[in-house]
Parts: sequence; structure tokens; C-alpha cells
Amino acid sequence: MTKSEKDLMLFNSYPFIFLFLPIALFGYFALGRFGNLAPAIWLALASLAFYAVSNWAFVALLLASIAFNYLVGWLLIAYRLRTGVRFAVLTAGVAGDLLVLCYFKYAGFLAANLNALFSTGLSVNVLLPVGISFYSFTQIAFLVDAYRGKVAHYALPHYALFVTYFPHLIAGPILHHKDMIPQFESAESKSPNPRLILCGLMIFAIGLFKKTGLADGIQPLVSLAFSSEATPSFDQAWIGALAYTFQLYFDFSGYSDMAIGISLMFGIFLPLNFNSPYKATSVIDFWRRWHMTLSQFLRDYLYIPLGGNRNGRLLRYVNLMITMVLGGLWHGAAWTFVAWGALHGVYLCINNAWNHFGPAVAPRFARVTEIAALILTFLAVVIAWVFFRADSMASALSVLSKMADPTQIIFGRGEMANTMFVLIYAALAWFAPNTQEIMGYDHTNRTVGETSGAWSRRPAFLYVSAAVLAFGILGIQQHSEFIYFRF
Amino acid sequence: MSSAAKNLLRFLATSGLVMLSAVALTFVVDPLQIFRPARLFAAMYSQDSRMQDAGLIRSQNFDTVFMGTSLAIHFRQSDLDRVLGVHSLKLSLNGSTSVEQNFVLAAALERHPKRVLWEMDDWIFREAPDIDSNIHVPADLYRRNLRGFASYLFSGSMARESAWILARSIPLIEKPVAWLTTGVLFKFPISHVDDINVLRPGFDVAGTYNAKRARAAFRYISDPVRSVHLSDGVDYDMRVRNFERDAIGLIAAHPDVTFEIYYPPYSILQWVAMRDASPQTFEQVYHFTAYVSRRLTSFPNVRLYDFREAKDVTHDLNNYADVIHHSPTIDLKVLSWLAEGKYVVDPTDPTASLDRLKAQVEAYRMEEP
Repeated sequence: MTKSEKDLMLFNSYPFIFLFLPIALFGYFALGRFGNLAPAIWLALASLAFYAVSNWAFVALLLASIAFNYLVGWLLIAYRLRTGVRFAVLTAGVAGDLLVLCYFKYAGFLAANLNALFSTGLSVNVLLPVGISFYSFTQIAFLVDAYRGKVAHYALPHYALFVTYFPHLIAGPILHHKDMIPQFESAESKSPNPRLILCGLMIFAIGLFKKTGLADGIQPLVSLAFSSEATPSFDQAWIGALAYTFQLYFDFSGYSDMAIGISLMFGIFLPLNFNSPYKATSVIDFWRRWHMTLSQFLRDYLYIPLGGNRNGRLLRYVNLMITMVLGGLWHGAAWTFVAWGALHGVYLCINNAWNHFGPAVAPRFARVTEIAALILTFLAVVIAWVFFRADSMASALSVLSKMADPTQIIFGRGEMANTMFVLIYAALAWFAPNTQEIMGYDHTNRTVGETSGAWSRRPAFLYVSAAVLAFGILGIQQHSEFIYFRF
Repeated sequence: MSSAAKNLLRFLATSGLVMLSAVALTFVVDPLQIFRPARLFAAMYSQDSRMQDAGLIRSQNFDTVFMGTSLAIHFRQSDLDRVLGVHSLKLSLNGSTSVEQNFVLAAALERHPKRVLWEMDDWIFREAPDIDSNIHVPADLYRRNLRGFASYLFSGSMARESAWILARSIPLIEKPVAWLTTGVLFKFPISHVDDINVLRPGFDVAGTYNAKRARAAFRYISDPVRSVHLSDGVDYDMRVRNFERDAIGLIAAHPDVTFEIYYPPYSILQWVAMRDASPQTFEQVYHFTAYVSRRLTSFPNVRLYDFREAKDVTHDLNNYADVIHHSPTIDLKVLSWLAEGKYVVDPTDPTASLDRLKAQVEAYRMEEP
């Protein structure tokens, strides 16, 4: 374990739950009596403190990034610049963000590849500032929208809070200024609302349990296939790959739930990031359900500017491939992530082509087709996750080769028991309602617990979710990091 | 107070109550037997020695402790007791460093055993984090302080294991629960203390320990690409510092305890790999071991054995799974050597066995099958 991992203030840690969060909430609502601006400044400072605990060396970088983007945005919003100059300002702003991101995230990768090709002897060791991928993207979106004339002028404290807001700062969701800043400006969220705090705690509890109970619980099965010493059989490789499929989902969606729950306690509604992705019946559907804020960002600020589907079928596929490969690379500077993105690009092209050229399904086969589509989509996603998880391309191909070699099957007592556990996780992912369905969380309408079918309206759910929070807190391990922190 | 505020209080109170119930469950079942030996429920044990040893030290009766790395992990306590006439407790830790071994041994020595059997090689004295930075060792639980007890009682995984052990005590579901307890997700699958970390019945000994595998391991480590790793962590001064702190410090502090220390019988291929691929590493290991032998034999409460020169074992590659790990047959042989006092290092000439090993290594020629 590195020092930075050990020192991170995680949502699933005692200092965060019992110290930081209560103080941040208390200060926010106490200052709410003194107007609208003071709580926002408090929350921005608390967010910086949250970041500084584990990343103090990069606080200056974060502040510089905010100042730079705010200045560029201000030039675009406040001045009536000529079109060419506006474009030059935008280009400079986006290029500045991308340069910083590329330096910290990709310099080492680039040097390693140059070394491999030309034996340059070049060596670059740059520490990755936590959250840089997320705060770079949120601010690029802000600049592009400012250029498009879709942004009103924001006060610096609200803008700074939008970028640093601690529930999302480290691993998203990727926020949109038009969604968030009006909420920060609103007076309504500055006084404590016990109902929102309770609902926030319930959502936080579900997220914490997903992380500490489910994701951390299945982690040992993942190493059956992916540890450096592993030489898995066919069944062990599949158990490991499936276990990782569920570990990643419960880990990241658990984190997103916790972020949404924490934010709700402050009266701020964060966007949804997951919508039961393994219930998807196509890869297109999967990307509408998995890491939704990233998908929306890539669609609005990469795929559509590239031309989207406006320039014919072939260019649409090219744009899809570019978007997905870059989306893969955004997750990390490694060929495994490029392969993962490219594979999903290919899946999306096939999916689009099938939608266009494939036969129509007779209504009597609709149900069967839907189940087959769900299984096929799920298997395609599992295969792609192997690249996402593996330490190297060689390791990914080795695991995949084991998954494709049914001549080596052990399926002893251990494998049977592990299969049972994987099936329990699969049942949860496929058949259980998701957090927003349980809670009746509606980000668009800013409501929670008001839909008639929401479990959160049932009195017994209060006690069940309280128990879930207790189990979530008890499950906290001091060495359990969120997978998405490294992106 | 509004109904929402009342609900919020109910929620927090219920959470607190559930947590206290989990604490109570762990305290009653006590899976590690930290507070008392198992009485209400059948004792269950984990393969995770770094965690399990904290409980074993408290729950077991012993007059001898056995410490080592993976080379000492498969021994059966019953074999130790039978061959050596002792009442032993095996505390060996896979891949352990001298920092970990020292810490666990020091905790065990508080129970005043008469004897310590210690499988010791130069590798354990590599660089290591201090014990409180080691996430795999629950240091405060060994220290039995408030923080240690709190981390044990407020642990969800311990509550889960407690519930699992509780479920296993219900006759109706005992069998399926036992079947699902493989040690991967539920960590306490072993019902007899003697079975901790031993090879399971039906284990393919011949398929695991054979000359083919030993030679393959030799080729792997002596490959020019990887042989650079043979010199990992062999810095002489650092090892001497760690040895003085972790081994000599403990021995000197317990003059009333007999320390029977042995150098394990690595296969000859380990040394040949160093000789051929990294001669400077061989020299460093030689000098460090010479220092260790001189220091250890200077203590009246230490008896040192050097099994590395046991040619009939170390040259028979069928005894090995790789270049160092020997088979269970050799485990028993080690015990018989200890019982018979074979290969004892002479305190008046502590490096003689080392020199004999060096001569063997220099003379050895690989025989291809």
C-alpha cells in the first residue's frame, strides 16, 4: 500500500463518517443563517480540506485549474469577442486543461511506449493527482458551454464549489454546471431539512453496504483469476471474471450512491450515475445505464462535436470508435484501457449496424429475444472487463484464453461454493431494484421518496436501512480503496 | 419535533443498536478465541496466520512455539509434539519478515514457553514496514489494548464470521454451511487446530514436489531477464541491522528460553542459481550468514542447526516444488534431525557448515534428465 492510498479520506472511513461529515453539515447549516454566500464558501473550504487531507501537494494545482478556467470562462461570457477570438480563447482554455491532464496522466505512458519503440532511455515518474480526470472534464464542459453562449455569469465561490464539491471531487459523478450552480445559489438548501438528511443517510447506507458488504466481500474471488500467481482453470477464470464484473459494479455504484446520499444531506441533488447496467439488453442500452454522467459527457462534448451520426453511417462508426477509445484512455494510461474502449467501440458499431440491418423480431418472440439480448450483452461486457481489470495485455489475453478453454475444468467444492456466491451477486444485479427505485430518487424533479412505489415510504424500511447503515459501517476495512479513485 | 426529525432519530438509534448487537454477537461467539477458549460454539480456525495467531496465542496451551515462513507452514503440531516430546504451537507466517516474526514471537513469549523452534533464513531480514504500518497484522489485537479489542468487536467481517459459526452450530443447516465454508469468502473453515495450514487430504504431493518443477523454477529464476531479482533486498548492512533488532533483541531479552534455530534445507539449485547468475549475491548471502551463525552461537540459550548441507535431501530434486520449498516428507525429516541433534553448528567453528555448503555449491554440476 502506498502512503497516498493509506492517507486518503474515503467515504468508507471512520474519520469521514464520524468527524468530517458532521462538521461539514453543522457548519453549512449554521452559516445558513447569515445569508446565501457564507454556506457556499464554507462548503468550498470544507471540500478543499477534504482534498488536502490526502492530496495537499496538489491543492495548488486544483486552485490554479479553477482560477484558469474561471478566467477563460469569464472572457467568454463577459466580453463580446469576435468569433475567431472567442474560438482562440476556447481552444487555449481546453488545450490548457488537456495539457495538464495529459502531463500528469499520460507522460509516463508515452515515455514507456517511446522507450519500447526506440530504446530512448526516457523515464518519467509523475504522481497522478486524485480526481484530475473528473475536475478537468467538468471544467472543459463549462468552457465549451460558455463558448456556445449557454452559461450565465457565476460568482467565483459558486464556481469554485462546483469544481471542488467534495461528494463528487474524487470519483464523480461528472457534474454539469447548469445542474449544480443554480442549486448552490438557491437559498432553499441552506437550512436543514430532516427528511432530506434522512433520505440522504438511507442512500448513503445503501452505497456504503454495496461497497463494504458486497464489493469488498467478493474481492477474494477476483484474485482467483487475476492475481500474478494465478493459473486459473476454465471455471476459475470465469468465476474470477464474473466476480470482478460484480465487484466493479457494486464498488462504483456504491460510491456514486454514497456521493448522492451525502450531497442530499446538504439539500443538493446530484445526477444519477448508474441505472442497473447489467439489466441492459444491448451495448447501447448498457452505456445509457453505466457511468451515465461520463457517457453523457462523451456524447455531448466529443461524439457530437466529432460529427456524431450526422455525416453518414461509416463516419458514425469512426466517431464511435474514436469516442470509445478515448473514453477507454480516460480511465487510465495503459493499453488494456485502450483495448477495453476499442472493444466497446466495436460492440457499439455492431449494435448500431444490427439495429439498422438486423431482422425485426416477431412479437411472440419478443420476451425470448430480450432475455437472449440481455445474456449476450452481459457476456460481451464481462469479456471487456477482463481487459479493464488485467495488469497487462498479456495477462488479459491469458485470462481470456483460460475462459475459452473448457478442457481445463476443476469445479471442485471450492469452485461450486464460489459459483453459489457469484449467483447471489448476479441475482442482486439482475432482479433487485436499484437505489433510485428503492428510494424514489428523482434528480430531474428534485424529489425523493415521493413516488408511491418507493420502498422508502414504508415504515419498516426505516429500520431495514438503519441496519444496512450499521452493517456498512461495521464492514469498513482500513485498506479498502474505491476502484475508481485511480482514474 | 417534526415527524421527519423523529424518524431521523429513530434511524440513528436503530443503527447504533444493530451495531451493538453485532458487537455482542462477536463477543459471545469470539471466532478468534481472543477472550476465552471456545465453549458455547465449536472452535473454528482460519488459514490467515497473521490474524489467527493473535487468538491461538491466547486460547492454546503450549510450552514450545514454532516460527518460520512458508518453509515451516505445513508442519503438523501433532508431529512436533510426537517427535520432539513437546506441547507445541505453530505460529509460522507465509512470506513473513523478521519484523512480523519478532512481533508475533514476542506476544507468544508473554505466555512463558520454554522453547522456541525457529526456521530462519537470510530472506526474512529484508526491508519491511514497521508492524503498525503492516495492514495484514492486527498489531493492537496482539497487544490486547482497547483499540485492538474495538477493531475486533466492531468488525463487520468478524460479526459475519460469528454469524456463520453460529449458523454452523444449528444441526439442520450445519452441513450446507460447512460445505460453503471454503476459506475464501468465509475465513474460518478449519475445525481442528492441528489442521491449520497443513496440506489437505488427497493433496497431490508427487505432482507438486518433483525434479521437473524444481528444474523449471531454477530455469525461471536464473533466466537473464529475471536473475537480477536474486539480488533484491540483500543489502548487508540493512540485514545485519534487522537481524540484531528482530532476532538478537528477542534472544537476549529471554535468556530463560531455549531458541532452537535452523537454516532450512533449500535445494542445491537455489545456491547454484546464485553461483551462475548472480555470484555477488552468493557472496553477500555467504558473509551475512557467517555473521548470523557467529552471533547466534555466541548465546548460551541458542542451539543452531544448519540443514543446508544435508546433501541427501538438498541434492534430491524430487523433494522440491521449486528451488526452496520442500515436501512434507522433509518436514518430518527436519523434525527427526532436531530430535537427534544432527547438523548442529559447532559454536567453536560456526562457519564450518557454511564452508562445506560452499564447497558443495562450487562442485555441483546440473544433471539434465
